[in-house]
Amino acid sequence: MKELDELLLPDDVRYAEDHEWISERAPYRVGVSDFAQDQLGDLTFVELPDVDKVLAQGDEFGTLESTKSVSSLYLPIAGRVTAVNEAVQDDPGRVNGDPYGDGWLIEIEPANPADVSGLMDVEAYKKHLEETN
Amino acid sequence: MNDDHRAAPLRQTSLHSRHKALGAKLVDFGGWDMPLWYRAGAVKEHMAVVTAAGLFDTGHMDVIDVAGKDVRKFLDFAFSHDLAQAKLGRAAYGAFLDRNGLCLDDAIVYPIEEDRWNIVVNAAMGPKIVAHLRSLPGCPEALREPAARIAKIDLQGPGAVEILALMLPDPAAAFTGFPYFSFKGDFDFTRGSVRLKNGAPAMLSRTGYTGELGFEIFLPDDRVGEVWDELLALGKDRGILPCGLAARDSLRTGAILPLSHQDIGPWPFVNHPWRFALPYAEDGSFTKDFVGRDAIIGAAASTPHTLPFAGFDPRRVEPHDAVVLRNGAECGTVTTIVTDMAIGRRDGAIVSVAGPERPADWTPRGLACGFVRIDEPLPSGTRIALKDKRREIEVEIRGDIRPARTARKKIVF
Repeated sequence: MKELDELLLPDDVRYAEDHEWISERAPYRVGVSDFAQDQLGDLTFVELPDVDKVLAQGDEFGTLESTKSVSSLYLPIAGRVTAVNEAVQDDPGRVNGDPYGDGWLIEIEPANPADVSGLMDVEAYKKHLEETN
Repeated sequence: MNDDHRAAPLRQTSLHSRHKALGAKLVDFGGWDMPLWYRAGAVKEHMAVVTAAGLFDTGHMDVIDVAGKDVRKFLDFAFSHDLAQAKLGRAAYGAFLDRNGLCLDDAIVYPIEEDRWNIVVNAAMGPKIVAHLRSLPGCPEALREPAARIAKIDLQGPGAVEILALMLPDPAAAFTGFPYFSFKGDFDFTRGSVRLKNGAPAMLSRTGYTGELGFEIFLPDDRVGEVWDELLALGKDRGILPCGLAARDSLRTGAILPLSHQDIGPWPFVNHPWRFALPYAEDGSFTKDFVGRDAIIGAAASTPHTLPFAGFDPRRVEPHDAVVLRNGAECGTVTTIVTDMAIGRRDGAIVSVAGPERPADWTPRGLACGFVRIDEPLPSGTRIALKDKRREIEVEIRGDIRPARTARKKIVF
């Protein structure tokens, strides 16, 4: 298991308390953080929504199944799904291997792009991880 | 597992510092701080055991010594497996039941000499099984946990023979006459005939909990570290990985082996796929009397049936929330569900990554599999649904799950 100082935490995305990330600017990609993939362990299945689905903030948009558990994914801000990463459905290990790159999950069109800046920046997320672990 | 261990500090095996150095994620298992997986992750670990080799720390399991002239007679009465004809050097798998036929734990019994046997039980179960056996009539005086803790590591996978050979002074001799469920050496390390090249005495048992070819290796606790290091070093070019509890759980499920206190437990030990743990005669009666026998005969008609199943893709349900549906009607619960990542479906049939029928350029996506407890025995191939709060998945009752397993393969060396 990774120590907190070993986690990859890029500074060009925003983070949610449930460990999803979203790009700071368009295209707004959504995925899970290195912390989340490390905690879940090897993923065995990724379930993602249909394109064009409209979701509110906090809505479940899919599931990540690892060898340990089945976990829900929650959308950090409201928006419409514009793309899903089919490659991670074929090879869920991409989420473990490259959670911010090849392992992205969906792209959305935010209902209000300004919502993104209301999420945690990398420093706030680091603090959140320190406080909760 | 056992609630009474929750508050106590977790116990550590002698390999604990090595697990940390290997980047293990550690979890509470029966009161022990044990690896769930290492850096490679549970999927690669599972694959390593099916296609190459894996090494598990199983030092959390308990050993019991028992000696005396009536040991065979006593254990034959106390244990579910028929031991009347058990040969020295051949291990037997079975269960200890209480008088009501409920399963206390599963175990492997090792007849070392006619008057000296050993029993291996699950984590934290040593004291409980010792107390249970002492409560039975005819219990030998000399039945106890050994004074010095015995370490155990399991080398599992089709490459296990080749790797272990590198540690044996005369591997050809060691591997002669070594079928599945036989053993060589002694739990009393001062008497054993097996020594590794580094001088460590060992008890080698051709058993495991993965369905694959391999050995459970019992060692003095002060030698296990160096043997662990050597096996990992010698196996490196042969694809060995240290493996944790997650891979162990998915491997044993695909091999249709039960997890004690989950798939077998405090309910009558009958109506399950582990018929070899009970002394069935050809006509379906029991060959002997044993603790719990009359109770399980009496309970057979009213006890749910535990059956293996496999799905059609990797998706699972949460076992604690899930119900089993047959034609829309609830008929049971799920005791285990994992994803065996070494298997997939080809034209409906289950194919293993290690099977001869595996097409070139085909990689399995994994299949959900496990055990259900349902109110009637259903034939293999029957479709049922598993439903939790999130989803409903279709699965089928199976006679077997992961094909092309190697556990029983003859050792060719």
